Amino acid sequence: MTTFPIAVPPPGDAPGIATRHPDEHRPWPHKPRTWPRALVIAAVICALTAWSAIAIQFDPATLIRNAHNASRTLVQLFQPDYTFIPDTAGALLETVQMAVIGTAVSVALALPISFLASRVTNPSTVVLGVARFIMNVIRSIPDLLYAAVFVTVIGTGAISGVFALVLFDLGIMVKLISEALDGLDRGGQEAALASGATWLKADRIAMLPEVAPSYISQTIYVFELNIRASTVIGLVGAGGLGMLIDKVRTFYQYHYLSTIILEVLVIILALELLSSASRKRLLI
Amino acid sequence: MTPLGTTPAADPLRVAEAPPPAPGSAGIGSTVGSNPDSPAGLPPGIPPAARPKRPHRRLRQVVWALVSAVVVAAFWSVDISWDSLGHAPARLVHYIGLMFGPPAWGQLPAAVSATMLSVAMAWFGTMLGIVISFPLSLLATRGLTPVWVRWPIRGFFAVLRAVPEVVIAVLMLSVTGLTAYTGALAIALGSIGTLGKWGYESFEAVDRGAIEAANAAGASRAQVMRWGVWPNAQPDVLAFWLYRFEISVRASAILGLIGAGGIGKMLMDNIQFRVWDVVGMLMITVVAITMIIDQLSGMVRIRIITGRWDLPFAARLRRRRTARATASAPDGTARAAASDPAGTANSEDRRKAEE
Amino acid sequence: MSQAQQAADIAFDHVGVTYPNGFVGLDDITLRIGGGEMVAVVGLSGAGKSTLVRTINGLVPISSGQITVGDVGLKGLRGKGLRTVRSEIGMIFQSFNLAKRTTVINNVLMGRLYHTPAWRALLAAWKRDDVELAMQALERVEIVHKAYAKASELSGGQQQRVAIARSLAQRPRVILADEPTASLDPPTSHVVMRDLQRINADLGITVVVNLHFLDLARRYGQRLLGLREGRLVFDGPGADADEGVFESIYGRSLTAEDMLPGHQQAAV
Repeated sequence: MTTFPIAVPPPGDAPGIATRHPDEHRPWPHKPRTWPRALVIAAVICALTAWSAIAIQFDPATLIRNAHNASRTLVQLFQPDYTFIPDTAGALLETVQMAVIGTAVSVALALPISFLASRVTNPSTVVLGVARFIMNVIRSIPDLLYAAVFVTVIGTGAISGVFALVLFDLGIMVKLISEALDGLDRGGQEAALASGATWLKADRIAMLPEVAPSYISQTIYVFELNIRASTVIGLVGAGGLGMLIDKVRTFYQYHYLSTIILEVLVIILALELLSSASRKRLLI
Repeated sequence: MTPLGTTPAADPLRVAEAPPPAPGSAGIGSTVGSNPDSPAGLPPGIPPAARPKRPHRRLRQVVWALVSAVVVAAFWSVDISWDSLGHAPARLVHYIGLMFGPPAWGQLPAAVSATMLSVAMAWFGTMLGIVISFPLSLLATRGLTPVWVRWPIRGFFAVLRAVPEVVIAVLMLSVTGLTAYTGALAIALGSIGTLGKWGYESFEAVDRGAIEAANAAGASRAQVMRWGVWPNAQPDVLAFWLYRFEISVRASAILGLIGAGGIGKMLMDNIQFRVWDVVGMLMITVVAITMIIDQLSGMVRIRIITGRWDLPFAARLRRRRTARATASAPDGTARAAASDPAGTANSEDRRKAEE
Repeated sequence: MSQAQQAADIAFDHVGVTYPNGFVGLDDITLRIGGGEMVAVVGLSGAGKSTLVRTINGLVPISSGQITVGDVGLKGLRGKGLRTVRSEIGMIFQSFNLAKRTTVINNVLMGRLYHTPAWRALLAAWKRDDVELAMQALERVEIVHKAYAKASELSGGQQQRVAIARSLAQRPRVILADEPTASLDPPTSHVVMRDLQRINADLGITVVVNLHFLDLARRYGQRLLGLREGRLVFDGPGADADEGVFESIYGRSLTAEDMLPGHQQAAV
């Protein structure tokens, strides 16, 4: 006599090596059919890609035709003219200045707004909804668009750049910080509220220290972002290296262009190394 | 007399040793008719532990000072006339009035078709970027290829990531001219860097267990990739592909601003010619499209990662349904999970903003 | 002034609590807790212990009836009135509810927030008297040497003592404790309960504790309130709680799970 139940597959099903209890008479489960859905998705994606190719007038021939042109430019690009570097100093400085000022102003403004935009720190759903909506709108406008508008409204130069950066950063920073707040431990806040504090006081004393590491980390991140952004917003006139880029490309001075790009690369890579090192130490 | 010099009589919490404070005087001990004769926490005669001094965190102070100095220097040295700032709010309000009071809705059809072009640019560029970066990111994964293959590829990704997309576009545009096509190519090139990096990071983050099992069962390297790594990495990879599309949509608007076509070009033309009511309408369009695509893409991404559709009110309905079903009492410490189960939003948004 | 403040009586008058999902938390509770008493609330999980304790400071709003703390009725109270009542009620929680990334002293100072003007709170510029009070509270729970340590660096028992200090900093008339020992090991549970008992005895503060383990309740509570399915099924001294009473509270005979592990060897 056996001492453990031996598989007796229910009648009509394929035999297997399963060890099921003979009392179970359920049929084997069917393998779910996922392929129709996958096929539909694939078809949609292909259709979209085909449509987009047509819409943009995808034409491999053009590339080949211009390949000669492109290779010549590419060669020039790999031969930067280092004597140009001193001439870039002014624009470079302006780029960094804009980035610093933009970061400082936007992270300062972002702090109170983030608290308003987070479920955790703002008990009023109305204010929360309004704040989030406004921030979403602000976030949906690209930095270069802000720059273009401000240049026309205020004038060319760093001031437009700063305005553009501040608005651009505000949207991003508020989103990042309010999401950080959403995920935080609210214990201290609950205790503060239970002891009779107002929401403002409870948030300031109990939640601000909790979000501080994230806040600093995101500030560094926004600064990086600003450096990248401020190198290009000059293309529409908002100051910094971008204006220099615009000037040299109009004259097809690719040797100079490559110098500028090299500088941009060096700065950004250096900043990335610095920031990832410091952000690692901040992960408390 | 305690080591810190406070006499027990002046120390409201200590009811030991000295004559107790009169009931009604300030301090914790006298809030309610306390029992003045019983000692407080400590047996009489033992002084309380020494109070620590407030620590001075030198490093933190130095860093703060440095950062403040840099910020102040930037404000002071930049070539901006701060006094003219006073006029700025009034001018802004004036222009906002010009733009939105009312916006030129008559041109909406043109705006929509321009938007379609931008979206097409973004889609094609992203697809191209995916096709190119996918094999490259496989080759850049630790554990699948030797170091001398990995590091050049990773370096390539890093350089492409470091160069702002717009600069890449500028380079391309000056070679092949200003069209939506080249805009798409620029987007593709720009996206290879980030897609590549996220790709190999996802592959490397896969739980080692499946890989070990596949290896133990005798799979070849390609099979390990296909059956051990890919199924685990798939949701993340699909999610960031979609996410990159979101970013590309923004990028396509930007590229349009410098001439590549689409809604950006329409915007730039109207800005330069100061047709403000059209600009206002276009900005509303850009915002609306971006928000819609973000929302849709977010929903699809959450569906990919968690297997559930997170429609705007679904979370609330779901909570109410389960609460009624179990009719459980809140125990005071449990909190309902946030309606963003994937938690993708935080770091993803960062990545988005990176572009 | 010999009686600066009235000892805080807590009166429940046909109190009922129904949660939004329809679940009945409390069902017609009427009782009176006199000032200076130490009361332990026991019962199964979900029986309403936590609800009872949390209605006293309004964390759970009551649906029917009235609760009076001192001479203030809580039903429908909101805004400044509610905050004033809460400022005199200290509360400690099962998960300690400290702000983990800041210092111990900052956590204790949170107890003074009601009395701190908004501008001071925004700048974290605490009044010197408040800092002194906070230090004394820490001294009373014997943890002042950790005043500038980060709260997350402390052990569970230490964190709970900081929470007690925070409550003391409020100079409360009532202290509520919602399963304060649930996250602590047995010896530390006894330490925390002893602290509460001492505070009750020395300072005359009314203490209402919600406990899971019966032996802790009987040992440290002068009076036991037994809840079952939201109803009060027992109200009396711990000594009176016999088998029949346990049965009515828990719906079954007492088992080892209702006692703190190792209770047989518990030190006196």
